[in-house]
Amino acid sequence: MTAYVVRRLVAAIPLLLLVSFISYGLMGLAPGGPAAILGAQARGLTPAAREHFIQQLGLDKPWYVQFFFWLVTLVFHGSLGNSYVDGRPVFDKILERMPITLELLGLSLAATLIVAIPVGVHAATHRGSWFDYISSALGFAAYATPVFWLGVVLVDVFAIHLRWFPTSGIASLGYEHDPIDRLRHLVLPVAALTIVSFASWMRYQRGAMIEALQAPFVRTARAKGLSERLVVYRHALRNALIPTVTLLGLTLPGLVGGAYFVEYVFSLPGMGLLGINSVFSRDYPTVMGITLLSAIVVVLGNLFADVAYAAVDPRIRYD
Amino acid sequence: MRTGLRRFFRERSAVVGVVIVSVVVLAAIFGPLVYGVSPIAIRHDLMGTPQAPSAGHLLGTDLLGRDEFSRALYGARVSLTVGVTAMLVAIGVGTLYGAVSGAAGGAVDAVMMRFVDAMLAFPSIFLIITVEALTNNFALAVIILIIGLLSWMSVARLVRGEVLSLRERDFVEAARALGASPARLIFRHLIPNALTPVVVAATLAIGDNILVEAGLSFLGLGVQPPMPSWGNMLQDALTPDARNAPWLVVTPGLLIVVTLLGFSLLGDGLQVVLNRSIQQESSGIDEPAVVLSRPTTEAAAPAS
Repeated sequence: MTAYVVRRLVAAIPLLLLVSFISYGLMGLAPGGPAAILGAQARGLTPAAREHFIQQLGLDKPWYVQFFFWLVTLVFHGSLGNSYVDGRPVFDKILERMPITLELLGLSLAATLIVAIPVGVHAATHRGSWFDYISSALGFAAYATPVFWLGVVLVDVFAIHLRWFPTSGIASLGYEHDPIDRLRHLVLPVAALTIVSFASWMRYQRGAMIEALQAPFVRTARAKGLSERLVVYRHALRNALIPTVTLLGLTLPGLVGGAYFVEYVFSLPGMGLLGINSVFSRDYPTVMGITLLSAIVVVLGNLFADVAYAAVDPRIRYD
Repeated sequence: MRTGLRRFFRERSAVVGVVIVSVVVLAAIFGPLVYGVSPIAIRHDLMGTPQAPSAGHLLGTDLLGRDEFSRALYGARVSLTVGVTAMLVAIGVGTLYGAVSGAAGGAVDAVMMRFVDAMLAFPSIFLIITVEALTNNFALAVIILIIGLLSWMSVARLVRGEVLSLRERDFVEAARALGASPARLIFRHLIPNALTPVVVAATLAIGDNILVEAGLSFLGLGVQPPMPSWGNMLQDALTPDARNAPWLVVTPGLLIVVTLLGFSLLGDGLQVVLNRSIQQESSGIDEPAVVLSRPTTEAAAPAS
């Protein structure tokens, strides 16, 4: 197992290299690249000073040469470069924002599983019932809901109208280290992200459960005279959870993208808000760093899903 | 085909999908002609004080006194145009890429698929936002191209998978033995036979693209005012002065939800029907298929 994890981690390196190469290429090839922007922003500078800046940042080189320098800096200095906006190391800027994003993702993933798995199981064991019908309709509706709109509606109803929760941010003034205050700020963002991602999990769990309930071992369990509860939860559910684990890897890119929109709507100072603001201010090094770290989160998430798959299913051996 | 249609219409949810999609499409095409109120005409007397829905303005007016119902109808045109054309771009690129990769096999296939893996590791919406912002050109054609060219990867995987299994079938073998060129093999034999699952993916992709366009416009990086789009209508509704006009938030959001719901149900219905006809073809028994629902469009093929 350890060997498998190590091998997968090693295999992830060329993938991430390719990922950073592609994002550098896309940014470099987009018209109005960094040099043009710097040119426009630095109108106050003398031509000589502007030339000096462009040369210092390496913006006069083609994008693949810049990519090479960026990579060398990353590998040999462990640095993602400095932000164009405030000159601080990109790595520090992202690292201080990361906990909020991970918190948002982790909490909403936990909430999604807690709601979606029981609902999916109940829908599967009561196929064609009202419960099945309504939960699947709600699932479709939730799946069709744009997360940014849902965020706005939740703020309108629960923060502005009912005043139950704060409208935005991660802490109230003077309560910066109060965990309760922090949780209160996270309720609406987590709810928004949970509602839109719940549908996939619920429907996937329902499908996997239906399949498991038709398996021969379930018939055997019933034939042994086990109670329906034991058959459903001990035998069928344990097997139905296995395919669901793989959903983590599949939904992660979407979840991360959703989290960025949620951070934007709720002004949560996480990686997503930093990313979107950096896109607006054309802070290339920061955008690049966030792109790479988002991809790392996704690749590691996939790896985790595969390892978890092996852990819950003893029939699968990786060697 | 006839039995397929009958089966499709037996799926209640699929019928709901067809109805929703037809209504939205008809409203987008004929709505503006019938309603005849300009979506961009500013009423100076109503400026600054959005009007609630009334007989005169079915969905009220926005901050500039523009008729919200008319903007919603024109917005439907924009959303559907982007959704469908970006889908065509993505399906075209993805089908070709997947077919070539699958037909080539070996090292070429491996390299081409690693590229797809890398593209799929990005949260695609962030990539689209970044490229659109850097390009800084918000013409509809540019938005369509960017969405389409950054969302073909799951289609490529899907088609490649189909092609890999088709490649070994007798009729392809026969065509190859008859001296068909690789291009002829790909375009005449492999792609046409791999298209069935693509139909489902295409339907679902329209919905996804509408969502992406709305997200872009919501950030101000998509369709630019005064052209209405559901996304920028929502952005307008968040202007501080418009915050006491909830109908401006509800209208564009619900339109997006209902439209995506329609395409989602339609795609699901198609999937059920196509799965069953494929099953019947192979087993000849009409068993109820267990359809694992799609978590995301990426789920078409397991991540490697």
